[in-house]
Parts: sequence; C-alpha cells; structure tokens
Amino acid sequence: MSEEKTTAVATEEDLRIGVFVCDCGLNIAGTVDTAAVTEYAETLPRVVAVIRNRYTCADPGQNEIKTAIKEHNLNRVVVASCSPLMHEPTFRACVASEGLNPYLMEMANLREHCSWVHGDDKEGATQKAKDLVKSAVARAGRLEAREESSVPVAQAALVIGGGVAGIQASLDLAGAGYQVYLVEKEPSIGGIMAALDKTYPTMDCSI
Amino acid sequence: MSPETKFTCLRCGHEYVEEYAPDDDVERACPKCRSNSVRPEKVKKKADAAEEK
Amino acid sequence: MMDVGRHPRIELFAYSEVAEVDGYVGNFKVKVRKKARYVREEDCSSCAECAEVCPVAVPDEFQMGLSSRKAIYLPFPQAVPASYIIDMEACLGTNPIACGKCEEVCEKVCIDYDMKDEIVELEVGVIVAATGMDVYDPTELDEYCYTRYDNVITSMEFERLICAGGATEGHFVRPSDHEVPQRIAFIQCVGSRNNAGDKGNAYCSNICCMNTVKDTLLLRDHYPDCECTVFYMDIRSFGKGFEDLYMRSREEGVKYIRGIPGEIREDPATKNLTLTAENTLTGEVVEEEFDLVVLSVGVIPRHDSPTIKKLLTLSTTGDGFYMEAHPKLKPVDTPTRGVYICGCAESPKDVKDSVTQASAAAARAIALLNAGEVKAEAITAAIDPAACTGCGLCAKVCPFNAIEVDKERKTAWVIGAMCMGCGNCGATCNQDAVTMGHFTDAQYYAQMDALIDETAADKIFTFACNWCSYAGADNAGISRLPYPPTARLVRTMCSARVTEDFVLYAFMKGSPIVLVSGCHFADCHYIDANRQTVKRVYRLWDKLEKLGIRPERLQLEWVSAAEGRKFAQVMHAVEELRQQVTAEEIEHTVKVLTEEWEKKLAREAKRKKKAETDESRDEVHVS
Repeated sequence: MSEEKTTAVATEEDLRIGVFVCDCGLNIAGTVDTAAVTEYAETLPRVVAVIRNRYTCADPGQNEIKTAIKEHNLNRVVVASCSPLMHEPTFRACVASEGLNPYLMEMANLREHCSWVHGDDKEGATQKAKDLVKSAVARAGRLEAREESSVPVAQAALVIGGGVAGIQASLDLAGAGYQVYLVEKEPSIGGIMAALDKTYPTMDCSI
Repeated sequence: MSPETKFTCLRCGHEYVEEYAPDDDVERACPKCRSNSVRPEKVKKKADAAEEK
Repeated sequence: MMDVGRHPRIELFAYSEVAEVDGYVGNFKVKVRKKARYVREEDCSSCAECAEVCPVAVPDEFQMGLSSRKAIYLPFPQAVPASYIIDMEACLGTNPIACGKCEEVCEKVCIDYDMKDEIVELEVGVIVAATGMDVYDPTELDEYCYTRYDNVITSMEFERLICAGGATEGHFVRPSDHEVPQRIAFIQCVGSRNNAGDKGNAYCSNICCMNTVKDTLLLRDHYPDCECTVFYMDIRSFGKGFEDLYMRSREEGVKYIRGIPGEIREDPATKNLTLTAENTLTGEVVEEEFDLVVLSVGVIPRHDSPTIKKLLTLSTTGDGFYMEAHPKLKPVDTPTRGVYICGCAESPKDVKDSVTQASAAAARAIALLNAGEVKAEAITAAIDPAACTGCGLCAKVCPFNAIEVDKERKTAWVIGAMCMGCGNCGATCNQDAVTMGHFTDAQYYAQMDALIDETAADKIFTFACNWCSYAGADNAGISRLPYPPTARLVRTMCSARVTEDFVLYAFMKGSPIVLVSGCHFADCHYIDANRQTVKRVYRLWDKLEKLGIRPERLQLEWVSAAEGRKFAQVMHAVEELRQQVTAEEIEHTVKVLTEEWEKKLAREAKRKKKAETDESRDEVHVS
C-alpha cells in the first residue's frame, strides 16, 4: 500500500485528505467552535478523515496524524491549528515519518489569524475558521510532492578586499583549514587601516 | 531630479504632490493616513492618452 | 598583514580585480584579472635600487599627496606583497631608448616591461565581500575652502602628517610654511549628518568623533604646548573605553565647543584661519584664529562598490552601503546565498568592529563550507520549454539572475540552485510557461474558488507575503490585536508572485475588495522583487479604471513581520472600504470581468493552437 502514498501526483479521484483540527487548549477552542469546524470539514470533497485534537503539535496529536495516515491511507494532510511560520516544519516532519512527502501537508491558521484576533466575535471567527479549512483543503488537493536537492560546496573561499576586514576574514577562513583567495585592487593589502597612524581606543600602531 | 507628480490616496482620497519617476526606488505612503495605496497621476494620464489614440 | 602574505592557504592576488562571477552558492566560478605590475612580485626583494635611479617623481597617494614617490615604487614600507610596481602612466617608457634605467640596475632581473594582464579562474564555495570605504571629499563644501586654503586639511592627511612613517617623517608641520602649528581646530561631521540633502550624507559616519579624540591626544602627547579646539555637534563616544579616552582628551585641556563653524576665513599674509561658530550650549558667538584646521571627514561607500554589487547580486541601503539579509539576525549574510559582507562595505565602522564583523562573516562562511553541501530550495520555478517563447521578461525581473535565456532557440530555463522561489517570473510570464513549485497557479485558483463563494461580498480577499505581511498578521494575533473577521488571507512567498490575473479573477468571482500586501521596500526577502508588485498594482489600477471598476477596491499595503498593529489597522480601514462597495457594483464588476476573462481564454486558445501548428510544421521541417 505504501507505494500509493509516495510521490506521484494523485488524480482527483485518488485524493484522500485528512483534516486535523486543533483546539490548542482554549487558544483556538475558546473562540472558535472547533466541533462545528470538524463537522464542517467532514462535508468537504475528498476529505476521508477528520480528527479533532487537544494539541495537534504535541506527541499524542502527532501520533493521531501518523495513525490516521496509515488507517485511512491518507495522501494529503491538512492541519488546522496555528501559523505555518511556527509549526510547518513540525508537521512536515510528522507526515514524512509516515512516508508522505512533506510538501503534501497544508496548514490552516486558526490561531494567529483567527481565534487570537476575533475573540469578540465567536460566530465570525468560527465562520472564518471554516473558510480557512475549506481553502486549505482546496489547496491540499492541488499539492504536488517536491524534492529537496542538495549541491556540493567547493572547499574554497574568495575574499574581495584586503583591508582590515578582508585580512581578518581571510585569516579566519584559512585558519579553519580552507583555501582562501584574497583579491585586492591596490598593489598592497592594508586598505585604509594601513594609512592610519595610531588607532583608538588603545592608541596603538595600525600596522 | 524626478518630475513632480500628483498622487491620490486610494484609501482616504487625499491628494498630494511628490517627485516621481517610474524606476525610482521609493516606498510611498499617503502623508495623511499612511496607506501605501497611493496612485500616481502620470500612469493614469498615459493610460488615458493611449485610450484616446 | 604579514600573516596573510605567509599563510600557506591564502593565495593573495594584489593589484587584481574580480572580473566575472558566475554560478551559485557552493559553486561560484570567478574570474580574477591580475593586472600587470611589470615587476615579478615573487622575485622582487624590494632592495629599492630601481626607485633610486628612476627619474620620475609623482605625488604619493599613500601619503595623501603630501610627498612624492617614483614611477617604480613600493606602495609603503610594510606593503604586502613586498614588491615594487611600475606606475605605467608615470613611467617614461618601456623602450630602453626612452629610459629603462630601473631594468639596468635590477640585479634580480625581475622587471618585465612586457608583462600583460592575466585572467585567473577560480572555483569557490563562498564569497566574502570586504570592499571597504572611501573618504568623503570636502571640496564641494564652499564654506571650508578645502582646496583654496593651504592650511585646511582632512583627517586622513592629518594621519600622514603625524605618522613617523608619514610624509614629513612625523614632524607635524602645516602645509603653508612647514612650521609646527600651535593652534589647531578640528571640525566634526564634515560630510556627515547633513539632512539638508544637498551636500554630504545624512548618516553619522560612526568613527570621526573618536578619531578626532585620538588625534587631539596624539597632538598633546607630541607637542604639549599646542592648543586643540574641537567644534562638534555631539560627541558620540559610545564604545568600550571610548568615554575614558574622551575624558582624557578634555583633561588634557582640549577645548570642546558645541557648534559647527559656518565658514573659514584666511588671512592672506599669515595664512592663518579664523573660524566663526555659535556655541549652542551658551548661545555665544565664538570667533577664533587658528594655524591649522582639520576637517574630520566622513566615510562613504567605495566608488567601485556598484561594480561588486552587480557581480554578486547584492542590494544596497539608501546610503549606498551593502544591505544585510536581516538587520539584526543575519547581519553578515546577503540576499545572495553564499555571499557574506563585512567591514566598511556594510556600514562605516572602526577597526575593532571591522575585525569583529569579519570574523562573523568568516564563521558564517565556514559553517557553509564545513557542511559540505547546500540544500537547494524546494520551492523553485520551472519553465515549460514548449510554452516558452524566449522573450526574456522573466530573466529581467529575476532578482537572483537565476534564469538563462537562449533568444535564438527561443527558450529559457531556471538554474535551480540559484532560484529562491519568489515567483516574480511566474507573475511576469505572459505565456503561462512558468510553474512555481508548491505555489502553482492551480493551487491559487483552487483557494480563490474556495474562499470567494456565495458569501464573497462579506470578505476581504488578501494576498500576504510569507516573510512580512503574513508574519505581521501572525504578530497581530500574538499581540491579540483585534480586527474584523472578514479578512481572508492567502499566503504567497513574495507579493511579486501575485499575478494581474489573480487579482482580476478574485474580482470576477465577486470580491468587493482585494488587498495585496508585502514587505516594506527595505525588508523585501527577494532583494527588490516587490518593486514589481508596485508596477503590477499600478497597471491594475489603470485597467480597473478603464473597465469602469473603482480602483479603490484594490488596496496595496506594506506590513513588516513586527507590524501587527499596522496589520490590524489596515484591516479596519479596508473593512470600512468594503462596506462602501455595493451589490450592484459587484454585479457590474463580475459581468465586465467575466467578459474580459472569456476574451482572454479565447486569445489563449488561439495562441495555443497556433503554437501547436507551428510545432508540427517544425517537426515536418526537421524530419
């Protein structure tokens, strides 16, 4: 079964989206009716599993995602919790541990963008939360697996400018064991510093 | 020196004059309401001229 | 300096320039032009015989022109490499009939008149730009008559006059009569902190206050009888040990007057100089005569820093110094991965700060070298060669020069490791040939379809860039700053990803208001990609107006990651605008734009058909 959840782009019919709605204690659930959001998520197309967690980011919450991926054979995951700037790496790693490409996980920001700013309008906040989940599910259906590639780093450094900064950078780089090429425009290194007589605060010679 | 251009704020409607050239690297804001939705007149004129043609 | 010369792992290219930089992080290919110095540096023992016989004397730039050197010369005694060089502009000629004296006396036979510039190719993983600074030239300041009065000198000239290895071997004399001056004035902030904007710079040059404090102490030490007076705006002695030094200078009897002289007058007979200034602490007008006036000149970006900026794809702040990737958290990184900055190239700073920052830049570079590999961004652009016409618009707007275009073969392609995924190319391409990985058009349209439904009239459709405005909205949340729940945000990596079609589509689907938000100009995470956002919004305003749609319905705002308050304020203001949009208005917009969209689809279908027939024709041709 595991081949099916890997990298290939799923056709519309193959999509199996799981939605995880986080209460974040009372951070989200205090304002947003997460039970209603969960119910709503179940009605969305291609959604095959919706689970409400107390804290999705905590180990029990993450385990629920992992189990659901296996149980429901999910190939897309939507986490409706906090800002992706906060926990996108967490949930990407979580789905990756179950063999799902990390770029097949999408988040809906129910906390920073919703419950925390609409505390005075629970109905409006819940409506917005539903919309955010709807948007995330729609996007999740179009997500494609992405591969991170890596390239080797040539083991040498170029330093441009042989003033005091360029000299120091060159010495540090060379001291760390790397080949350094220091390019200086003038006939000698030294820069402005070499032209100074004494330098503050110690009043010692510059060269 | 860039020519003086009339700007209109699309948030509060305030109109003001500022130096402007299409490629100058200046972040603009309405001096009255601080909105960044400020529209230079020059672009508007050009579009109108093109339409008239 | 000597350590650099003798370090086995440092190869020094002096009198050389970086001519070309290609490639990307981890794999830069660099061409260095080694200019001909006409003396083989590896053979020269700097015996000085050549300079002794050289008949040409020219002003010595190392001594600020205060003394002379020969056409064949050692830049200064401690120069590294310790090799002579011929100044070909001053040299009488390499033809032995014209001169050739130096070659005759050189026992080591290291003079080579036929030496040519040489191009050296290097492969490096990282680049540190430590291109330094220039000193402000006060000639333009008429009030100080720097070029007219002999005894008005700059602080750099002061260094060469007081230095034992300087033009006068440390005899501190004034230029007009070579007498030791008794009454010396320093004028601070020359070329710095001028907000009038006409001459000099608005910023503080950071080092001049302490440099003058140091100069007064040197003078009092060498010439205990001399009188020093410093005219200043503020003395900024903020560093470790700085205040002590400043206090010592005051205790030594150096007079500090808070006021900048408006002019300098010279007595033509004595060449003495009279300064007039208002002491802003007492309100009194000070008028005093001096033997010598030192202009404490500021720091400016190096004249050739734009060249390096272009070669390395760096950006600069308004004052011309190189911009860091983040002002607090990535102070030595640049928007180009694998390129680091330090020293005065980044901003004016003293020796200690330059050394500190250089070590920081080296450490950042070492971390990358030591990792051995770099992860390429997974969110990159890809160009469909079948759809691409090779017009090159995408390459023009790419902030990272990551797109190569072959005009002849009418195609373009993305260099994956250089692409940072801003999406500017995707929004620019008018052939739909660019696909933005993880932020595809299809994904955005799916999100718009989901959000702009039958309740669209109650919502503000908002594009927010990942780094600033989306984070700014997060910040509003963290700070619990309420705003109306009508906002619907869609994340883009950069505001430059927002195509004109996205905005028109949102209006077509029935959005009353569309807000495009991104980073402030100085914060753009893709160098300057958001300048394209502005251009697109300008064009959209024009287009909307032409179609009879109020341009006010498209809003543009810059919100930084720290500006939660601004984000909330913007959402309040835009909500007010939303409430002014009538149902009839939206209906009209939907109608007009749907017609436009159908026309567009028809145009595209026609184009595609044409491309297909062209292609089949090509195939026939090939076979």
